[in-house]
Amino acid sequence: MRLLVIEDDPLIARSLEQALTPLGNTVDVFTHYAQAREALQSGQFDLVLLDLGLPDGNGLTLLAELRQRGDTTPVLILTARDGIEARVEGLDLGADDYLAKPFSLAELEARVRALLRRSQQRVDNRLTFGPLAFDAGSGVATLNETVLDLPRRELRLLESLLLHAGSITPRETLENRLFGFGDVGSNALEVYISRLRKRLDGSGLRIRTFRGLGYRLEEEAS
Amino acid sequence: MIEVEGTLKSRLAVWLVVTVSALGVLLLVEAYFSAQRAAERAYDSQLEAAALTIAEAIQWEKGQPVVEIPSAALQILATRHQERVFYAVLDADGHTVSGNLDLGISPDWRRRVSSQPTWLNDSYHGTQWRLYGRELDSAGWETQDPVQIWVGHTMSGRDALTEALFEHAVTRFVVMVLLAGILMLLAMRVALAPMRRLRHQLRQRDADDMRPLEARVPEEMREMAETLDSLFTRQREGREALLRFTADASHQLKTPLAGLQTTSELALKSDSPDAWRQALTEVHGSAGRTSRLASQLLSLARLRHAVEASATSRIDAMSLLHETTFDWAQRDVSQAHDIGLAPLPAAPQYIQGEAWALRELLGNLIDNALRYTPPGSVITLGAVCHAQTLELYIEDDGPGVSPETLEHLHRPFERGGRQDTEGSGLGLAIVDSIVRRHEARMQVESAEKGGLRVRLLFPCLTRHEER
Repeated sequence: MRLLVIEDDPLIARSLEQALTPLGNTVDVFTHYAQAREALQSGQFDLVLLDLGLPDGNGLTLLAELRQRGDTTPVLILTARDGIEARVEGLDLGADDYLAKPFSLAELEARVRALLRRSQQRVDNRLTFGPLAFDAGSGVATLNETVLDLPRRELRLLESLLLHAGSITPRETLENRLFGFGDVGSNALEVYISRLRKRLDGSGLRIRTFRGLGYRLEEEAS
Repeated sequence: MIEVEGTLKSRLAVWLVVTVSALGVLLLVEAYFSAQRAAERAYDSQLEAAALTIAEAIQWEKGQPVVEIPSAALQILATRHQERVFYAVLDADGHTVSGNLDLGISPDWRRRVSSQPTWLNDSYHGTQWRLYGRELDSAGWETQDPVQIWVGHTMSGRDALTEALFEHAVTRFVVMVLLAGILMLLAMRVALAPMRRLRHQLRQRDADDMRPLEARVPEEMREMAETLDSLFTRQREGREALLRFTADASHQLKTPLAGLQTTSELALKSDSPDAWRQALTEVHGSAGRTSRLASQLLSLARLRHAVEASATSRIDAMSLLHETTFDWAQRDVSQAHDIGLAPLPAAPQYIQGEAWALRELLGNLIDNALRYTPPGSVITLGAVCHAQTLELYIEDDGPGVSPETLEHLHRPFERGGRQDTEGSGLGLAIVDSIVRRHEARMQVESAEKGGLRVRLLFPCLTRHEER
């Protein structure tokens, strides 16, 4: 996986490089708008971490340019501007995620992993999270290379959770995916979740409930 | 935005010009007619004098009038101007005894003259004439038939006199208007002098000089001067508050930074990796606290010193609550806690407000709950609809707060008697500011399960109400 970091603060740039390299990636760091622009035009990257306040230009322009070219490389915006307007503007321009400074490296790593998974899926149409994998083409889910024989709805549930793995999948999203837009009982979803939980027992993965919000597929805390 | 709309001078000038010209027209018309009357009176008496002179020259011979027109009479008639004159002496039958022009005195005129002397205007060969006729009765012992004496002249003498008189009137009027204009300009300069002095004083002020004004102004300007003064007072207060806040803030920031400095300094002196690790851990924690403090100070400053109230809009509190809780549940700091949302009312609930401030409000409350409760605590957010208000609440099952401390929790830098946590004590002060901005109420009370329950009561918007 090849990552591009565009960040003008040398301290942050260095720690980003150090934190992201162990994830099995090559990390290119650029501190200026002009260099970054050139790199983006020539290279193929799996993920771009973009700081908005660059000394010689605005990161948002770079993002807009990238998307105008039809490049769908995932972009994670880093910025000290915490205002919701800046955030919405970034996401509107086609950023995939947004992290306000200061951030913890653990959170950054989690988001990068999630985005890389999405990037991977773009390439080979496969979703993976730890020992769990789902091939969207054939519709086959595997756990530790063993095929999981799942009924249709559980398979859909697994796919949705995998798509958002590491972050919360909203309850409404799951219900729509499983039952369509019709009215469903409040605990219908819970039934399928608990079935899936049993399947994942002992795999090192778990599904955590966020009351009223949704579910998250995550690695079991040590 | 200052828009310049003409000058006071031009406004006054317009008023002056309008009134003066209206009055002036009336005055001049009147002056013209009175000049005409004066000229008429003067020349009519000349006609009368000429007629009398002729009358004295009339002799009677054998009952017939005989007249030798005296040259003095012609002199009187002729005036200084190129005047044509007319005279006629008629006997009782209307036959001309003596005369120079055949002006054709009609019998009707003769009848009028026989009763009293008469002035007439007539036109002859395209020229205006002024005629005077009178009848002369013989005053002797021998009764004679009366004779009529007619005299007249053209109008150029009269016209010239009228013109001269009128010209004088016009000249006087123009001189008066010019004098009035000059006086007005002078008066305006004098009257506006206090305004100029005030402007000068304001211009010379330093940007940060907020002292009250010291100026002598007329009654009409008192209100403006007082308004300026109160503006200065408000600015002074605002500036003082800002300075106080900046001092507070830098003090707040200096403390953790000093900690960072000493910790790292000690670690650099040491050779033991264990000490380094220990110091780094402390530095990491302190850096996190400091940056949180910085962002809290920023939002507090933004709330307190917002010059213009940013636009409020109609916000669906339910989706805002959902969004914010969802956002916080994802965050790293929340992973040790069980954050959740109680079932919400299905319909959107609208309140009037600023979305960023409301997010900040909920975020601070969640952040507080996370920081002041032990790991594993259950934090629940929810909403309840009342008749007039919408209640948003957050409750936890942590240790709670004693009733005495509940009262002054919202003061800045107050930490509910706890010095053990990482908080700055700014969270509830921010919350308090936002609550007041939204005309809402906040109630902090003990929750049923023993923790804290913060209730925010917002005025409800009915579905159609737009403020």
